[in-house]
Amino acid sequence: MKTIIQVNDVTVGYDKGERILHDLNFSIQAGDFVGIIGKNGAGKSTLLKSMRGFLPFDKGEILLADRRVQDYSQRELARKIAYLQQQVELTFDYTVRDMVMAGRYPYKKWWQQQGDEDDRIIEACMKYTDVLDMAERPIRALSGGQRQRVLLAKVLAQQTPVLFLDEPAAGLDLFYQEQIFRFCRELSARGKTVVMVVHELNLADRYCSRLMLLKQGNVLADAAPQQVLTDELLSAGYGTAIHARRNLETGHADIYTEELPLTSAKRELLDTIIGVDYQKGGEAL
Amino acid sequence: MTYHRKLVAGILAALVVFTFAFSLSAGQYDLSFVQVAAWFCHQLGLPVLEDVQISAQQEAVLMFIRSPRTLVGFMVGAGLAASGTILQGLFSNPLADPGIIGVSSGATVGAVLAITLGVNAVNMFAMPAFAFVGAIAAVLITIGLASRNGRIPVLTLLLSGVVVGMLLGAITAAMLVVMDEYKLQQYLFWTVGSLDYRRWEHVLMGIGPITLGIGIMLLMARHLNILALGEAEAKAVGMPVGRYRLILLLVSAMTTATSVCISGSIGFVGLIIPHMMRMLVGPNHKYLLPASIVAGGVFLLFCDSLGRVLIEKHEVNVGIMTAFLGTPYFLYLLRKNSNLDK
Repeated sequence: MKTIIQVNDVTVGYDKGERILHDLNFSIQAGDFVGIIGKNGAGKSTLLKSMRGFLPFDKGEILLADRRVQDYSQRELARKIAYLQQQVELTFDYTVRDMVMAGRYPYKKWWQQQGDEDDRIIEACMKYTDVLDMAERPIRALSGGQRQRVLLAKVLAQQTPVLFLDEPAAGLDLFYQEQIFRFCRELSARGKTVVMVVHELNLADRYCSRLMLLKQGNVLADAAPQQVLTDELLSAGYGTAIHARRNLETGHADIYTEELPLTSAKRELLDTIIGVDYQKGGEAL
Repeated sequence: MTYHRKLVAGILAALVVFTFAFSLSAGQYDLSFVQVAAWFCHQLGLPVLEDVQISAQQEAVLMFIRSPRTLVGFMVGAGLAASGTILQGLFSNPLADPGIIGVSSGATVGAVLAITLGVNAVNMFAMPAFAFVGAIAAVLITIGLASRNGRIPVLTLLLSGVVVGMLLGAITAAMLVVMDEYKLQQYLFWTVGSLDYRRWEHVLMGIGPITLGIGIMLLMARHLNILALGEAEAKAVGMPVGRYRLILLLVSAMTTATSVCISGSIGFVGLIIPHMMRMLVGPNHKYLLPASIVAGGVFLLFCDSLGRVLIEKHEVNVGIMTAFLGTPYFLYLLRKNSNLDK
């Protein structure tokens, strides 16, 4: 497989003192479907932004198709990597069609208008993610699941070899969550490289070809899902006792955190919250 | 273009014809719509309405007073509304207007300086020239204060605009303190904005920069759509955000400055017209920008003409009319579609 992204000794810090990512080294092959996992604040989104060239790094280099990311123009980068943000806040009532059309932006010279070819491509993208019937509706009027599919159509309209998705399934219901993963698997099977920040570990297990577990800006594990989703690695990565089991019938991962014992201090807190005057032996409200 | 947008386009076209006729006929020197139409056809050499009589005096009024005033009104309205549309898209903020980046306060300082120095009495172009320089300088200061390493963060820009506006307001006030009553009167006329006594010279003065500005804006409509999605989205699709922000800021500053120079400061057009049109044709600038340009011209012309017929033997300044007509309608729209809260 061809290496599409090569990360060499990359260190990133938002401020001068604080380091978010430490000396990262890895490569991503064309057609990989990589899930980046780890607890909140582990540096997952930062890694994605750095690889896209949104964040400057202090040290090291990131190569995209053997060329340094910072040597690409903005337009060139947008034709190589499409990026789906964690949150998109819209001020105006842009329609679904307007939004998906934005994906065609990097293919136009500044004076050019969209043409029939662009229409053909965005219609295909909207059809694929099943939002074509709402093309003229304002995005702000859509549900979360519909919105995510619209944004996915937009990044697909960019026709990039690489897709970066930052928590695309967050806040979606069971069906839409899984649908996003299905889309990505189909796309990676056709040669697109997908890198996704993900919290849904059981879905990541079933759909990703590879998982990268980050802890405090370091790569703790980077391998096939079955090798990463173990008690030891997950517990170390998330800093709490985690069990990963396989369902014998389906073979799917069943991942859960270990329940902590109810301490007396916690019991007192609960008493206060629930409103029991425990010293007088009163009853709950 | 959907049926809905075609309908809006048709209505706007009809309104253009109506407001031009209204503006040409309204005023102390009364002319009927038929006379206006006849005069227009005669000018074009069309063999219609040949039996309608127009006196030499009426013809002079139409040619040298009403026509330039009408054109100036339409241009200024179009320019202000176009700039407002650009700024609202640029800041992804439906409450931005041309005043927000210091254009109006800069122009006022320039104008007051011209009045204080007395140069406006020497040459009729002196005050507009001073105002233009003041407006552009104010915008450059605002942008300069806001930019960091080639980036122009929106919030910093808006805050810089407010600060620069306050400072310039203080400078204006300081100059006003030392002004005599006659000059104060002139200042007052400037601040309320008026299309009174606008001649062909004013048309010539404004038509270049305003058409150029509007032309560039129309070319940029597609980019504005991307900017209006927010900075992060614009960057994700490969837009050099800083460069486009700067270009659009300067173009709208130039257009506003020109408008303010030939008509004084006229509020509300740049704020409410884009807003109204967005509710009618949607936020896509490919449709929104042309609609705002035409509607801005129509609205200002209508306000000006109404101001001429409202009170007998008196003219209500167009700046007052825009505020009086604009505010209630704006409030009505806000109540009807509470889009701002969503």
